[in-house]
Amino acid sequence: MGRYIVKRLLYMAFVFILLTFVLFVLYHLMPANRAYTDARAELQGLKKGMTAEEQAAKFDELYLRYQRLYGTDTNNNVILYLRWLGLYPYYDGHYSGIFQGDFGFSYEHNTPVIKLVGPYMRNSMLIGAISEVFVLGVTIPLGIACATRKGSRFDRGTQIFTLIGFSTPSFIIYIIFIVIFCSILGWFPVSGIKTPGSNYTGMKQVLDVAHHVALPVICLVFSSLASITRITRASMIDALSMDCVRTARAKGLTEKVVVYSHAWRNAMIPMVSIVVGGFFGILGGAMIMEQMFGFKGMGLLFLNAMRSADYDLIMFMEVVYTFIGLFSNLVIDLCYGIVDPRVRISK
Amino acid sequence: MKKKENVFRKLARWTVRGLLGPQFEEKWFKKNEGPKEIVYKDGVPDDSELIVSPAMQVFQRFLERKFAVISVIVVLVMFAVVFIGPHYMPKYYDAYTEVTQKDLPPTLDFMSVPKALQNNIKMIDSYGSFSVGLSTDGEVFVWGATKLGTTKIDIGDIPEEVQNAKIAYVAAGIDHIIAIGEDGSYYGWGNNRFGQYENTEATLSNPNLAPVPDDVVNGNLDPVHIKKLTCGYQATAILMDDGTLYVWGNKQAYSNMDSFLGIDGEPKTGMKDVDFTLNYIVGLDSKQSSVYTGTRGLFNTARTNIGGAGEKMMDFLNGRKITTLTATTTSVALLLDDGSIALVGDFPADVVDVPQLRDGDYFTDVEGGTYHYTGLTAQGHVYSFGGDHYYQAEAPQVNGAKKVFAGAFQSYAVDGNGSLLNKWGLKGYLFGTDDRGANIAERVVAGGRITMTVGAVAVIIEIILGVSIGLISGYFGGWVDIFLMRVAEVFGSIPLYPFMLIMSSLLAQVSMSTDTRLFMIMVILGILGWPGFAHITRAQILVARESEYVTAAQAMGVKEVKIAFKHILPNIISVILVNMTLSFAASMQTETSLSFLGFGVNYPQPSWGNMLSRASNSTAAINFWWQWLFTSAILIFTTVCINTIGDTLRDVMDPKSTNDK
Repeated sequence: MGRYIVKRLLYMAFVFILLTFVLFVLYHLMPANRAYTDARAELQGLKKGMTAEEQAAKFDELYLRYQRLYGTDTNNNVILYLRWLGLYPYYDGHYSGIFQGDFGFSYEHNTPVIKLVGPYMRNSMLIGAISEVFVLGVTIPLGIACATRKGSRFDRGTQIFTLIGFSTPSFIIYIIFIVIFCSILGWFPVSGIKTPGSNYTGMKQVLDVAHHVALPVICLVFSSLASITRITRASMIDALSMDCVRTARAKGLTEKVVVYSHAWRNAMIPMVSIVVGGFFGILGGAMIMEQMFGFKGMGLLFLNAMRSADYDLIMFMEVVYTFIGLFSNLVIDLCYGIVDPRVRISK
Repeated sequence: MKKKENVFRKLARWTVRGLLGPQFEEKWFKKNEGPKEIVYKDGVPDDSELIVSPAMQVFQRFLERKFAVISVIVVLVMFAVVFIGPHYMPKYYDAYTEVTQKDLPPTLDFMSVPKALQNNIKMIDSYGSFSVGLSTDGEVFVWGATKLGTTKIDIGDIPEEVQNAKIAYVAAGIDHIIAIGEDGSYYGWGNNRFGQYENTEATLSNPNLAPVPDDVVNGNLDPVHIKKLTCGYQATAILMDDGTLYVWGNKQAYSNMDSFLGIDGEPKTGMKDVDFTLNYIVGLDSKQSSVYTGTRGLFNTARTNIGGAGEKMMDFLNGRKITTLTATTTSVALLLDDGSIALVGDFPADVVDVPQLRDGDYFTDVEGGTYHYTGLTAQGHVYSFGGDHYYQAEAPQVNGAKKVFAGAFQSYAVDGNGSLLNKWGLKGYLFGTDDRGANIAERVVAGGRITMTVGAVAVIIEIILGVSIGLISGYFGGWVDIFLMRVAEVFGSIPLYPFMLIMSSLLAQVSMSTDTRLFMIMVILGILGWPGFAHITRAQILVARESEYVTAAQAMGVKEVKIAFKHILPNIISVILVNMTLSFAASMQTETSLSFLGFGVNYPQPSWGNMLSRASNSTAAINFWWQWLFTSAILIFTTVCINTIGDTLRDVMDPKSTNDK
């Protein structure tokens, strides 16, 4: 077990470096030259009473200084990447990169990236965790009920709804919900996480946040209901047709035991990746939902960073997303071992 | 023998079936089927079944599923519409915008002249989305898209006093209507945000608005002496017989309005004609030899037809006089005293040129719409020319017309009694218009082409990559398998949306044609999606590799590659087919989501995703419901059908699944 995890972690590190290197190189293709802009800005303040040649010379000097400061005094992508990781020294010999805990500086927010992300991730996790609990609470019983009553009116009705829900892009569900609940009924506010300018405390604050969060949660729940119900149903149907279930029935076990003990245990295996992946996914935020509700979460942070070309922030978010993806894969594989004792992960 | 059911029994049976389910139907309405007739063949009961090939069996079982068959038809129709449809919209282009047609709800009533008006038309006018008509009895009618955007104003609600009065003149602007009663009284309704029809404290205090002149408000005008009442975008002009001109409205819409306002509260005099283009007021002064705009050099090059070369106005006229002028958005048509037409200004790309008249015929009247002109000749023929985007410049054959009226994109020919002879032009918009004034129905077709192409090409790339890599990996095993599967895992762990966003913002930096950009999006979607296919193919191969027919082929010495592609691939094609269908729908969804966020297909190219992006604003989503409802309904409908096909295919191809649905 321990060896397996170490092996997996090494593999993860390899993939992580590969992916981040590709992304790093890609993102350095974007035309952005911080040293150039900063040097120009500083020159603006100095250039009074200078001739053109003096200005050019001064600019070259400033430009070089800023390039060295930002570590962009080379075009070698590998060196740039190593500097970003913190494995290659800057011009003045100091190391400043991920391994030193320096993820860069967000120019849009004027804050170090690492300090910026906290509240956004907290918001995303709050809303994601609530909706994930609701989603699993609804979809798993529903999927099981459909599978055990396969072909019934109830099952067929649910199938039609899940088919439509599954085929609807999530943003259309959000549009419909916003129109119904905000514009027509006026039950929920359209955006934000608390009433602007309010300073509630205690229970009132909780209620206020709940009021603001309710619609995003409802939307998130609805947009993922269909697909998870379908997967639960499919894996449950597969499990119910297994020989062990037939044996269990033949033994005269009650239907309850057959379904929840024998079949469900088998059906859980494909479900693991959904559940674990879902819980890790909430760390990354729900991009479209956050965009539509103006909800300050990870997804919106990333989208805004993309729009304003806030490169250090984009790179950091990419690291977070890649890491979440890789780590959740590891956890999923470990969970397979727990759910299915036949899977020996120590190999 | 089956007994025939009477209608009531049938209805009752259907009700039971619909409400309670087929099992009740069977219980309560036992089918009177006699014992099954036994067919004898060669003296033995024949209960044999025809053996069919697996493909045929799948096909037959597929046909039994009603929804699936309907879905196939729907998807095929959809494909036909979005791929063949654009050939039937020759005038459509992606970047079409029309400022006067923004945010119009779905309606096809732009040309529906009310019945009561059809036989006694005095005048018809329109500027934007609605038309106003006046009957010879002095009654006012309004039709078209009368709800004005977010203002909640319905301009079709004609004020009580207008309904009671006898009206002599009406004219319509983009969002206001002006009417002059036969006793000279003045009426206006619609939107007054820019002082279109009424002086209020707010409009009087705004220096950018010209107030309604006192003479007009107080009803001092004698309608007998009114020569012309015309409305522009948010402005109105009244011209009297004696050359007095009253102008009011939004100066920001008409930068040269000051030149027409007169001095010291006295109206401008000495004018022969006046009209509004989109940005300028154009007038005709008493010399009748040039277009007066108050700006030197504007509209000073005249030509006889749209394609012709321009000449300086003075040389062109060569002593002739301009009788009347009429303006469209960017151009002005001048009717000269010899009955010919001169054109000044710019024309859109898609035009019908000035027609060749019959011998001895000459123009007696020209009316202008938003882009087109309709002219009436002395012999009663009607010709249209100018902008033709909505076929408004393609006049039918009309004889005996005595009057013509031009709406925004419509024309009406009327005979001497005021009866409507014919009408042509834009009927309306089936799905409404978007915030740029483009026809949503056309964009749905063009956008569907792009969304479906992106989905299809992305899936094809996924399949080509995924299946060949899966085949190689599964068949050869060993280090090839390990290596390829590791590669697939790396690709699989790329976070899709963040990566797509980075890639598309990178693509935005590179200058390339929109089609190349589109193709790059498909490639990226394909490259990120192939690991799924590779895993499925590999798993299938691992099963197939152990089967007898492969062993047999190997024993016969068939080459490895040939076994993989010729023997095994056909056996796993069904699984690939199912996944292809489901992936197609998924790719379409990814594309629409990305375009919705603004990182996929970008304006002006339409896609079902970016057409919906305006609905992310809740106010716009409720006020302009047609801008997302139809598009998203079609998108959902299409993906539901594609997914139904995929699901059904999976069901019917699965030998384990039973026939019960």
